[in-house]
Amino acid sequence: MNASDLPSSVRRLLGSLVDASVRERIAISVAALFASLLVGAVVIMAAGLVATCKEPFLALGGSSFCYDPWEVYYQLFVSPFLNDFNTALMLKETTLLLFTGLAVAVAFRAGLFNIGAQGQLVFGALGSALAVLWGAAFVPTGVVGSLVLIPFGLVVGAVVGGLYGAVPGLLKAYADANEVITTIMLNFVATNVAFYLVSTYFKDPASQSVETKSVPAVAQLKPVLGRFESTSFSVWALLTGLALVVVIYYLLFHTSFGYDMRISGIQPAAAAYGGVDAERLVVGSMVLSGALSGLAGAVYVLMVLGRWRTGIPAVGFDGITVSILASNNPLGVVPAAFLFGILKSGSLSISFALGVPKQLVGVLRGLIILFVAMPEFFRMVGLKLGVGDRQPVATDGGRPVEGGDDDE
Amino acid sequence: MTNIQRRKFLKYTGGSVALTGLAGCSGGGGSEETTEAGETTASEGETTASGGSGGDTINVGMVYALGGLGDKSFNDMAHRGVKQAAEKYDVEFQNAEPSGPSDFKTLQQRFAQSTSPDYDLICCIGFAQTSALKETAKQFPDQNFMLVDSTVDSDNVASYVFKEHEGSFQIGHLAGQITKMGFEAGAGKTNDAGKIGFVGGLEIPLIKKFQAGYMAGNKYAHEDNEVTAAYVGSWTDPAKGKEIALSMYDDGADIVYHGAGASGIGAFKAAQERGRFAVGVDADQSKSASEYKDVILASMVKRVDQAVATAVENVVNGSFKGGQINALGLEKNGVQPVLGQQLGSSVPDDVTAALEESRKAIIDGDITVPTKPGDV
Repeated sequence: MNASDLPSSVRRLLGSLVDASVRERIAISVAALFASLLVGAVVIMAAGLVATCKEPFLALGGSSFCYDPWEVYYQLFVSPFLNDFNTALMLKETTLLLFTGLAVAVAFRAGLFNIGAQGQLVFGALGSALAVLWGAAFVPTGVVGSLVLIPFGLVVGAVVGGLYGAVPGLLKAYADANEVITTIMLNFVATNVAFYLVSTYFKDPASQSVETKSVPAVAQLKPVLGRFESTSFSVWALLTGLALVVVIYYLLFHTSFGYDMRISGIQPAAAAYGGVDAERLVVGSMVLSGALSGLAGAVYVLMVLGRWRTGIPAVGFDGITVSILASNNPLGVVPAAFLFGILKSGSLSISFALGVPKQLVGVLRGLIILFVAMPEFFRMVGLKLGVGDRQPVATDGGRPVEGGDDDE
Repeated sequence: MTNIQRRKFLKYTGGSVALTGLAGCSGGGGSEETTEAGETTASEGETTASGGSGGDTINVGMVYALGGLGDKSFNDMAHRGVKQAAEKYDVEFQNAEPSGPSDFKTLQQRFAQSTSPDYDLICCIGFAQTSALKETAKQFPDQNFMLVDSTVDSDNVASYVFKEHEGSFQIGHLAGQITKMGFEAGAGKTNDAGKIGFVGGLEIPLIKKFQAGYMAGNKYAHEDNEVTAAYVGSWTDPAKGKEIALSMYDDGADIVYHGAGASGIGAFKAAQERGRFAVGVDADQSKSASEYKDVILASMVKRVDQAVATAVENVVNGSFKGGQINALGLEKNGVQPVLGQQLGSSVPDDVTAALEESRKAIIDGDITVPTKPGDV
């Protein structure tokens, strides 16, 4: 599709999104957030009108409203900060999404849509769990054991995820197979192969569920801070995630490899003309993306569950949305993942504190994410189509003329 | 945090005072008694804080299995149990439905760490929660838990398991008799082949218990009867469940019994297609899946509601005992064969009389029902 096929009004709208400055884009996001809250409030009222309850918060004439939007939003956005358990839950989700959000963002920058983060995560998690279970026999318990086993588990998770990410990368580079299709399909492959492997070979014989044995306590990422005791959140994992954000940012914007990746993403022909080995770059980007997803899987095993178990949550898929919210900027992944963390923890508070069904909470979460992500999404569409005044110029690697490095 | 722990500590020790009197009944738990006794002395004089005078509302947290509420079977039965208790006593409960296996631990912890309200009992429904509960129970030693369908060896967890093999024995006994007689009712008809079938969900020890009891009961009815058994490999694949059941019917089976969750619906469909009979599980499925009532001969009902209601009642009465395995069998109707609402009346009296006899024999210990298909 070409930009000139579009009606002029659409082109103008997309163009204004493409041309928006960082500050304008943040303002758009905040405005979108509030718009979503307003629409959500209407949904809450409507649902409350249909539902029946003992104590409606508001009765107007013959009709009564069961759910108070103000109370719902209070639980959703404020309660994650009020109680240590909720805070831990929020940060746990944030931590996992930092990794997968980064994974998707890195691939996006190189012009690759990695929908396979979930599959890479599942394999990374399995590899990490098995490696730690195997390695536990050779290391002493105590701090030394932790210092050996935890990095070992993380590295194996990253390697396995990276190798699995290399598959669609190789298929794309050398067989011209669309990575969107292959990564989607490889998700199913990963989930089912992992299920088979665990149920047939690595199952905990004492358990009726399809799960591995529990990894030893020394290999588990501990909460560290006393206030997060008895939760599944480790400060170390969060710090690792934040450090990776910085590393990936540096890699993308301050190294020649990152430069090649970004040009290939914006203008592959120009990159090839500039001497970039396109095949190697595609494979390399997918390996990096897969490694980050695999790392997320390893963190999931070592921090959250303490074992591999079938039914891994869709952290990899959420990573796609996080990346879009962050407009594929590594630094933007932090607030985007944080928003997801708040929503995750807040929605649990809602279902505990108020009688709001979890399906309705899911609708609210979806609305918020949809509203906030859409402007960025359409901006990406606009960039792809080349509308707006600040079109990328092929010869200079596509960097817009004005604005700093972190503009996009 | 320390403040919270202190509160919970007081609450627990308050409860354990009541427990020590009963500790003798649990039998064999030497270490349990010592820990309880130790804690009781540690907080002497402070037990009034929550002495369980009966005036306080009992708060119960419910963590359901993955099927979620509205499954017309396992989870809804558990929900019914806690509702019953809430009608009878001053009990308030909070439902929590996980969206995936990784949510079990989060929800258990969420209840356990809560201080307003402070939950007196957390009910964990389904064997899938076992490994999560093992850790949560360790993290919150002062919190009472109950677990359905599996066991956790911890002083603060009361495990409720069902003697599914006993109930299945009765189903096998029923089916084994019916298949040998010219029986026609509803949309089904036997072909006197002396053959019956079993469709399981996942091939796990829990479901093998169903199979073993069923096989033994069938053999008890007629020594030369045959059983074919097969597993779907999933709880949620009715298409495959149907395929398996169809092949059993085509092989001459008159009755197919399923222990396959939602996959078992396929067995009902197959029974309707071939004009034979099927047996439901967990709830009375001739009612909960009433579109198949014309082929559902009976259901092996598991009284999950009773397990939940009993556990809550025990907490209310101060007689909750952790570290114990409660096996519910035929004697208290923890498991029981319930004849189908449409077909039940057609079952001949001598068959039901024979069932009543075998029920007594199992309760009295005259019949020992195997739990592994290999032992039949």
